[in-house]
Amino acid sequence: MRVADQQMFNTLLGNLQRSRLQMLTSQEQISSQKRVNRPEDDPSSYGQIVLDKSALSQTAQWLRNIDFGTSRVNAADQALGQVQNLITRVRELTIQASSDTTSAEGRQSIAKEVRQLQRQLVQLGNTEVAGQAVFGGTKTDVSPFVIASGDTVTYQGNAESQSIAVGENQTVQILVPGSSIFTGATTNIFDSIRDLLTAMESNDRSGIQAGIGDLDLATAQISDVQGTVGALANRLQVTHDALDTATLTISKAISDNQDADLATAISQLSLQQVAVRAASQSFSKIFDASLLNYLP
Amino acid sequence: MSGLNGLFSVGSNALASFQRAMSVTGQNIANVSTPGYSRQEAVLTQTLPENGRPGQIGTGVQVAEIRRSVDSFVEQQLLGSSERIGQFGASQKALSQIQILFNDSNDQGIAAGLNDFFKALQDVATNPADLTARTVLLTKADGLTKLLNQASSQLSAQRLSLDGQVESGITDINALAGKIADLNAQIKLTEVSGQQANDLRDQRGRFLNDLAGLIDISSIEDGSGQVTVFVGIGQILVTDHTAYQLTGVPDVTNGGLLDVRYDGGTGPNTDITSSISGGRLKGLLDARDTTAAGLQSSLDTLTSQLVSQVNTQHRLGYGLDGSTTQDFFTASGTTAGTISMALTDRQKIAASSTAAGVPGNNVNALAMADLQTTAVAGLGNTTFQSYYSAMAGSFGATLQGATRDLQGQEILNDQLLAHRAEISGVSMDEELINLLKYQRAFQAASRLITTSDEMLQTIISLKR
Repeated sequence: MRVADQQMFNTLLGNLQRSRLQMLTSQEQISSQKRVNRPEDDPSSYGQIVLDKSALSQTAQWLRNIDFGTSRVNAADQALGQVQNLITRVRELTIQASSDTTSAEGRQSIAKEVRQLQRQLVQLGNTEVAGQAVFGGTKTDVSPFVIASGDTVTYQGNAESQSIAVGENQTVQILVPGSSIFTGATTNIFDSIRDLLTAMESNDRSGIQAGIGDLDLATAQISDVQGTVGALANRLQVTHDALDTATLTISKAISDNQDADLATAISQLSLQQVAVRAASQSFSKIFDASLLNYLP
Repeated sequence: MSGLNGLFSVGSNALASFQRAMSVTGQNIANVSTPGYSRQEAVLTQTLPENGRPGQIGTGVQVAEIRRSVDSFVEQQLLGSSERIGQFGASQKALSQIQILFNDSNDQGIAAGLNDFFKALQDVATNPADLTARTVLLTKADGLTKLLNQASSQLSAQRLSLDGQVESGITDINALAGKIADLNAQIKLTEVSGQQANDLRDQRGRFLNDLAGLIDISSIEDGSGQVTVFVGIGQILVTDHTAYQLTGVPDVTNGGLLDVRYDGGTGPNTDITSSISGGRLKGLLDARDTTAAGLQSSLDTLTSQLVSQVNTQHRLGYGLDGSTTQDFFTASGTTAGTISMALTDRQKIAASSTAAGVPGNNVNALAMADLQTTAVAGLGNTTFQSYYSAMAGSFGATLQGATRDLQGQEILNDQLLAHRAEISGVSMDEELINLLKYQRAFQAASRLITTSDEMLQTIISLKR
């Protein structure tokens, strides 16, 4: 079997090139810290990484949505708590006004206080977050409650509610329209108070007593809504926690697929460096052993 | 011719033969690195003996022939290997360039563009009255259209560049065919007069190898040393000293890109594009017409579904200013190269599902955002992201396959070359020893002549 010179050089060249190519791949993995830099590195992993990144982006967006919704729901919750306190106060005053021991003048001054409380209720009804009304349904650009002349309060919002997306095909309501809280459902709270004021100022004891019943209905109505809003806040919190966990899981999946195992890559690089060095050194030895060195 | 005269002629035969052998050795040494060179050997044989007493006496040495060491089977195998390396090499290079499109690992590709678009849509759905969120949506949507435009134009540019390479490949093929035909003629001329056209054959072998790298051929050598080369399905490219041509003709049905046609001299050109099965041309044509074209059409499908799904939902909704039945993307821009924004006024983004006066209504925007997780029938019942991911994964697998094929074939080729070198390669050791051998023999032969001369002198000086 003959060995031709050109074959020797070609073999060495081919092997050197292949070793260097492997070295280059390892180097790229180490410097980019990624095992998969382009589709050909690992086609199925690449596709999976694209999908996982999309899922991660969606999850982050849902968390963002929840933060927005939570601020609305919390504002509603707080406002409703204060509303309940005010109604309780109005009820106390009403009972006082309905007592036999209160005079007409007494009833007049109580009416003044109740009127102030009504104004405060209207203000609470007009709660805003970032310039948008919370209790106006989807008409967030106008104040939901307006006091006309006299003590009549009209509702300018609508009965629609808004939901936000918190998951795939999952939404959570974040607005409860004022019509189901103040002016609709079982009783119209503002109308009740207006009637109360009329009764107090006209010294109508039976009217005042009837108002107590209305206030009880109002209290029950607000409690109801408080329950609903509480449940919404709860749901948002639970979903937030679940999405936080999901974020971690997806991030880990992406990292598992995409990241280079530095220890392996570095040790592979060292191995390839040794291979290249050995090949180059052996070549110089073969080159030295030429017959030309020994002939005269 | 016996006696001293015989000695002289034996000596001079030997001198001439060893000189010739040395020059063959010299040729080998000079061409040790020439690719495609086949080692030559001076075959020394005895000249015809003469009758004499007590028996036949030899008359010296001659160079019977200068033999070229070549194995035609290995040569044929190398031709096949060149075809495959040409094909896989061209494929791998072309696809690697196209791969730049998929920049998702740095979060800058189309997948990221889709994510950003849907995120912006969600922000509008969550807070439909917020004007900033609406502006951002328009910006991100525009960004997505630009990404798709860019990808499409990059693909088109790649196809054009591949087309240019096809054209220059055809030019090279024609040039090589011409050279092979010329060599055929020269070899015939040389060998008809009894000479061995060793170096010419080597050269022709090199050209055949180059040609095989460009396009798959079959070659046959006939009794008079002429090589006939076939391409496509039996079309003759070279026969005797005639070379036919290939031409590139733009194909209107393929966007003006070139078809490869065979010009047989008489009659209309034959289209051999689909019958090319190896060589660089095949790699280029596959990348141009199968892979790149397939990617282009997948992108177009993705785009047209995006446009139609988004527009259909958007038209149902109402903007802040009460406008409805508005297109979000330009309805006529349904390919990746033509997608563009129809909406430029943020007030008109149709987030609401009922008429104006309800800035808080986000039902339509929610429905549009839902498109991200909808299985779209026109995409084979997958989401936009899944479709893109499958596209990228499948492309990656194709490229990975081409790279592996190339690496495998390169190793095979190295083995074949080693095999060829075993037979036809020059071994420096062998040649140097031959050099010594013939030099010593030459010295000995010249000593023979000087000795015969002295003997003749002696005989002549016998008579005073």
